[in-house]
Amino acid sequence: MIKLTIDELAKGLELSVSTVERWVRQGRIPIRKSGSAYLIDKAGLKKWAVSHDLSFSLEKKKNEEEYILKVSLLSSVERGGVFYNLQGDNMEAVLRSAVNCVPAIIDKKELYKQLIEREQLNSTGIGNGVAIPHPRIPLSNGVKEPLITTCFLEKPVNFNAIDDQPVFVMFILLNPTVKMHLSMLSRLAFCLRNNSFIQFLKKKPPSEALFEKMADFDIQLESSD
Amino acid sequence: MKYFKTLLYSRIWNFFRIDDRLLLIFIAAIVGTLSGLAAVILNRSLSASFHWVSLYRDCWWIFFLPAAGAALSSVFLEKVVKEGAGHGVTEVIYSISRYGGLLRLRSSFSRLISSCLTIGSGGSAGPEAPVVISGAAIGSNIARYFSLNDRQRAAIVGCGAAAAISSIFNAPIAGIVFTMEVILAEWTIVNLTPIAIASVAGTEVSRFFQGNQIVFSHHQFNIHLIDIIAVLGLALFAAIASILLTRLLEFMRKTSHSTRFPVWLRAAIGGLAVGIIGIYLPVILGEGYHPVQVMIEGAFEQGLMFLSITLLAKIVATSLTLGWGGSGGIFAPCLVIGSLAGLTYSKGLALLWPNALWANDGCFALLGMAGLISGMLQAPLTGIFLIVEITGGYNVILPLIIISALTATICHIIEPSSFYLKDLVAMGCLLRPGTDARVLADLSIVELIEKDCIRVRQDMLLGDFVEIIKKSHRDYFPVEDGKNGHFLGMIKLDDIRPYIFNSGMYNVVLMGQIMDSNVETASTDDDLSEVLHRMDKKHLYSIPVVSNNKFLGMVSKATLLDQYRKELIVQTSD
Repeated sequence: MIKLTIDELAKGLELSVSTVERWVRQGRIPIRKSGSAYLIDKAGLKKWAVSHDLSFSLEKKKNEEEYILKVSLLSSVERGGVFYNLQGDNMEAVLRSAVNCVPAIIDKKELYKQLIEREQLNSTGIGNGVAIPHPRIPLSNGVKEPLITTCFLEKPVNFNAIDDQPVFVMFILLNPTVKMHLSMLSRLAFCLRNNSFIQFLKKKPPSEALFEKMADFDIQLESSD
Repeated sequence: MKYFKTLLYSRIWNFFRIDDRLLLIFIAAIVGTLSGLAAVILNRSLSASFHWVSLYRDCWWIFFLPAAGAALSSVFLEKVVKEGAGHGVTEVIYSISRYGGLLRLRSSFSRLISSCLTIGSGGSAGPEAPVVISGAAIGSNIARYFSLNDRQRAAIVGCGAAAAISSIFNAPIAGIVFTMEVILAEWTIVNLTPIAIASVAGTEVSRFFQGNQIVFSHHQFNIHLIDIIAVLGLALFAAIASILLTRLLEFMRKTSHSTRFPVWLRAAIGGLAVGIIGIYLPVILGEGYHPVQVMIEGAFEQGLMFLSITLLAKIVATSLTLGWGGSGGIFAPCLVIGSLAGLTYSKGLALLWPNALWANDGCFALLGMAGLISGMLQAPLTGIFLIVEITGGYNVILPLIIISALTATICHIIEPSSFYLKDLVAMGCLLRPGTDARVLADLSIVELIEKDCIRVRQDMLLGDFVEIIKKSHRDYFPVEDGKNGHFLGMIKLDDIRPYIFNSGMYNVVLMGQIMDSNVETASTDDDLSEVLHRMDKKHLYSIPVVSNNKFLGMVSKATLLDQYRKELIVQTSD
């Protein structure tokens, strides 16, 4: 027997407070009221909930949306790492060397295959010499948290970009969920719309300078939300 | 008060509180005993007043007596305890379906006194329904004392009703069946156990004080196949009698309500009319158990003509008593009318086919009673078990089953709702368990409201609104007055979709211009079924809830389906 407040109960049962109060009053749910507290037998209530097509759990559910908002560009870029002078004369070659840079991925071949597949569908070269390669669907044994690997190429490479400009920098985008992917993509696109940022990238800045810029963008994005 | 508190929290109760079912059985026994006592008290007072009245049988003013009794009883109900007239069973059913069986404490004695005045003075009514509401009120108040929940309280109220019927007829099964079939209309094992215990307790109390006697004992009947066939006709006859009684009661009630007399005078008029009929046909006065006994024994010597007149007179007298404001139930009059109908039918048969070997007259009287009870209450099982128990007539069980089932069916075809439920159906208040009406009545707007709508002010620009759309999960946006927060109208995304991509309009269009200010709204204390009806009429899928000019949230049919299902599952399963 444990004591709960009506709010905890309602949250645990995913019902409105007034519904739970009424059910207790009408005796439709195995909960006893004593004073202002509600006495429940946790296992019994769980069983009852299952047999009545409801659910009962006291663990706090991770709110995915709140989590997405909290993940910053800075932390993703830090996790992904910044790499310079990637070798390669064409798109396949640079992706192959980039895949080897990406941390926390065991199956590099699978990642490479997925990145190439995505490029064949439609180029991820978004113009101004920037590409954001990413797998079409989240990797099955992939990352737990979003990461962005920044790769500055040794020499610009043709990526079939929309403006036909050769690509000099790639941001490889890896995400655990599609929703998170969209959120990160929109954040990254926000940065890349900024012309001075493109100019800044062209100078192949050191990672510390890049992280500083990303922190600035995070603050801007936070205030616009 | 202190004494009561120690009682409530003492260790004995803790033992029973181990399991709710145990507690319920314990309370059922107490309620059964008290309810049984109430029945015994009413029975004793009735026989005392019959005895007193019979002393003055020859006085000229005796026919005024029913008038005086009815007037007194209606003054008592109306002015002293401030409760409506009527038998009380309807109230019990309504209270169970709407308020989990909450009844006032005074209901536990008010109907006993008023019906004692009405019936004791000669009014044609029965003491059973008053005892039923008394027992139910006793149960309700004891349940409240133990702070039981609604469902448990309803079961205990049922216990009171079951014990009342069991005690007054010395018929435990009839008590159980009556409660399950008529009062609760829900056959669950959870209810059955306490009700059975209460029935036994009630019966035991009645046997302790009045002995274990079968109310209407009789000789063995010899039933042949031909009698069973004859029963088909009797079923029709009994059904006609019940419909006549129902309609006449209705007519009398309407007539009495259309007069402008005070209630006591109305009751007196009805009583006077009964008294006048009583001068010529004293059989119809009172609850009429004695004539029933005579008829079942087959010792009723009068002819067909006299019987049919008496039958009609009893129906009229009952309608006069109850329809004009007397207090009492329909059970006893049903038994009398039923036995009269059965006897009339039997005499008629004998007249038509004098050579056929019919069963005893008393047998038909008994079957007629079952027919009337089943027909009036539209509760065939109650009819069968009651008659079997009060007559000890298990040997007539086959025709009994046939007549009960048939009469109930015929009455149901002609009058879709039974005597007890008629008023509730007319008011739309019949909320039987597991029905749509019940689910909708239990769910409230507050439980369905969704509060994740983003409010906008009427002076907001379209450009700012586009930013709001980005964050919203919903297609509806309530517009509020910037100053006092009053609800002004709704913006539906569908309606403004063409403009939100036109950035040229961002700085020239205000929310107040594009909102729909003529929207259908609901309020928190609206009846859900009525709100649904309005939504259906206008083909709406969601409706804003506005109370005191403030927007509270939306109610949508999608959420409703979710909640409705949960509610239905929870209400119908155990």
